[in-house]
Amino acid sequence: MASTSTLKSAALLDQMKLHLASDAGKELSKKINFVYQFNISPKKIGIEEEIFTVDLKKGEVIKGACEGKPDATFSFKDEDFVKVATGKMNPQMAFMRGAMKIKGSLSAAQKFTPDIFPKPSKM
Amino acid sequence: MAMRDIVTGGASCAVPGSSSSSNPIGALANTLLGSSSKTQERLKELPGASSVTAQDRPLYPEIDTSLASLPGFEYDQQHQHQQQFQHPNAAGSQFLQSFRSGDQGGFAEAWNETQHPQVGPHAHAQPHFAEFDSIYDNGVASQINQPTFDGPPQRVLSNYLHSFVTSSHGGIPFRPMPLPVLGLSEGDKQCIRDRSSIMARHMFADKSEDFINSQVNTLLHSLEIDNEFRAKGSVPGQYRELEGYWNESQGNLIPGGPHVTDGWVTEYNQNVAARGNPESWAHSFEQQHGANGWASEFEQEQSQMTSMGLSRGVNIPNLAAMEQTRMLAHTLAQNEDPKFQNSKFLQFVSKMSRGELIIDDNQLKSAGASGNWAEEYQHQYIGAPSSWADQFARDELSRGTDGWVNEFTAEQEQHGTVDDQWVNEFSKLRVDDWADEFEHQVGEGALGDNWASSYDEFLNEQVVKQRSDTSRGVYVFSDVNPYVGHPNPLKEGQELFRKGLLSEAVLALEAEVLKNPDNSEGWRLLGITHAENDDDQQAIASMMRAQEVDPTNLEVLLALGVSHTNELEQAAALKYLYSWLQHHPKYGTLAPPEQINSLYYADVARLFNEAAQISPEDADVHIVLGVLYNLSREYDKAIASFETALKLKPRDYSLWNKLGATQANSVQSADAILAYQQALDLKPNYVRAWANMGISYANQGLYEDSIRYYVRALAMNPKADNAWQYLRISLSCASRNDMMEACDSRNLDVLQKEFPL
Repeated sequence: MASTSTLKSAALLDQMKLHLASDAGKELSKKINFVYQFNISPKKIGIEEEIFTVDLKKGEVIKGACEGKPDATFSFKDEDFVKVATGKMNPQMAFMRGAMKIKGSLSAAQKFTPDIFPKPSKM
Repeated sequence: MAMRDIVTGGASCAVPGSSSSSNPIGALANTLLGSSSKTQERLKELPGASSVTAQDRPLYPEIDTSLASLPGFEYDQQHQHQQQFQHPNAAGSQFLQSFRSGDQGGFAEAWNETQHPQVGPHAHAQPHFAEFDSIYDNGVASQINQPTFDGPPQRVLSNYLHSFVTSSHGGIPFRPMPLPVLGLSEGDKQCIRDRSSIMARHMFADKSEDFINSQVNTLLHSLEIDNEFRAKGSVPGQYRELEGYWNESQGNLIPGGPHVTDGWVTEYNQNVAARGNPESWAHSFEQQHGANGWASEFEQEQSQMTSMGLSRGVNIPNLAAMEQTRMLAHTLAQNEDPKFQNSKFLQFVSKMSRGELIIDDNQLKSAGASGNWAEEYQHQYIGAPSSWADQFARDELSRGTDGWVNEFTAEQEQHGTVDDQWVNEFSKLRVDDWADEFEHQVGEGALGDNWASSYDEFLNEQVVKQRSDTSRGVYVFSDVNPYVGHPNPLKEGQELFRKGLLSEAVLALEAEVLKNPDNSEGWRLLGITHAENDDDQQAIASMMRAQEVDPTNLEVLLALGVSHTNELEQAAALKYLYSWLQHHPKYGTLAPPEQINSLYYADVARLFNEAAQISPEDADVHIVLGVLYNLSREYDKAIASFETALKLKPRDYSLWNKLGATQANSVQSADAILAYQQALDLKPNYVRAWANMGISYANQGLYEDSIRYYVRALAMNPKADNAWQYLRISLSCASRNDMMEACDSRNLDVLQKEFPL
């Protein structure tokens, strides 16, 4: 398997990885130019977290924490991350509801929107 | 320490030694202890506290010593702090403290009350407890510290609550025990109930929700506190007050300011006044329910909760009835005032927990009682729809005095033809997703935790009419269906499907399965139609019904595998794809049946590769392999499998779409668009392919193009929620905020005019 994680988010982030290598993805990296870290938990924030780094400076997705400090760190439940990444829930709402926790620079966090994620196509 | 105080309402058992530790936990303890003793001093000056007669005063020190001298006390203290106060902050401690400070007045009052002559001894209390013993006695013989329960009621209560706290150490189920009559007032009961539920979530943070609930319930029942009490909403006003109080304490309070306690005392006094004689309430409760009635009802409800999965299956033939029940429940929830009040309270609790670091996100959000309310709601919703009438009658008898039943009765009288009225009411209220959300949460087993947040969601989003994406497994029928009563809706549905009128076909097929709930073909085609119409949730729900009727249908199993893959649910998808292999007449022998519960992706993929070697000409095996490789995100292999299958089945439009989707997900968008075009040439009204086209353009950064395809898909199926969400994102990326309003109001006319394809 391309990734051993059973999280739904991992599937999206795998796709993100491929996306960032494409022209549209390179555009995106240029536009955002931040490093985000995602701590994703299967059921409850903070428990059994899996860490992913989306580096929109270099255009990479790495499993695990990044070297150095990310511009912003987000903590999510798996389900909520998928909701935000697919546009079902907007990030502000997620934050207000406590479904998303943020650490780091606010201006970096504000650039985290559903449009940075590629949309999964359906069979 | 602080936690004990909350539970016992204990008058500050200040143990200096415990607060001298240098770690942050100790520091917190210092803060808490220090402030609590100050609070106590202030309390004595308060009007409420000063009404405590001289003879009562000595009781406080008495309790202190009794608590401190209990075995396990020191350990208890450390243990709790470690568990609960990892992130101390001022707001949190203030909240806890205010809870505590309010309590002191309350207990003093309660003690006063118990000094008054009791109207009638609860002679039947004993069998009550015996019954709970039998419910909860799981053979746990060793309770670590079993305190004795005698002496003045307040002391008994303290000891009893202390033993509840102690039970957290080993995760030993808390055993109920007979207590003397404590004469707790309604307000006290409520305090205890609220706090114990909150606390239990902290103490048993590592335990399951069920365990917590049973602990709390045991405690409450032993104290004769009705855990469902809040749900019946006898004192709705209190929560508003509580919320007000919280805001106040958040805003401008000096920690432990005197008016905090004033507030509590006043509130308590108001409650006493409003309530009249608390004993009479207890009496009337017992008269209504009988001494054991409540216990047995509780037991029954518990067992029904556990067998809910089963009962859901049983109820499939009653879907129509179930839908009506759901609507009924909707309206109850919507119109019923006290419950709404409860929800307000929950909202408050959830706000509180979100505003605080000290209380870990979901832990505090809802107390046990609210969970129980939801349970009850759930029970009524899923429970026995066919016997709703019976149940309603029974409820009316047994809970005759409850406001909501009366209200419901009144409403029922007003509306002669119930069913139609409800339907109308519903479409007005736009609460379609409510019950589904509950359903989903119960399914997750995270009911209590998520309750409050989903309520928020409900409040915030009821304006946006969107069917919840959480209706996992429950099919949601359309409100109005012109095909109901059609002589042969299945034939009509098949015809419409063939013509590509998918949304119409959905209605006809819904009519079919309402008429013949055991028609697996009806369900299957309905599922296929939903999948082609880009609605995987509904597709999964229909396919699950089809599978229940006909568990070995290969098309159904494959469709379930595909839909779960689309929803990124790997384990479920793997299970269905494996079942496909198991039930295949040719390859069934490859798949040992015992493996179904412990599937490893690699094993399943290996088995399918074996199958493909046995008969390389079988397109279906290659299709399943392609889906499997999608699941593992090995897109190159998936593409190869689908291409092989397409050589064998070149006119399978859904296969072209599968190929396209796989290519799109592996960022070969240009190829994907060609594949989708093939699919659309074969089936022009294939909504999923249109939506996928939009996705591919959007992923390439061609937002204007993607909008046109999304709009096209939505024109064919305005219920495709995913497409609406993606459209919104594309509009924002294309800087077409002028069209955002049309998108939010789902105004397709405007959108189609602006973005013709």
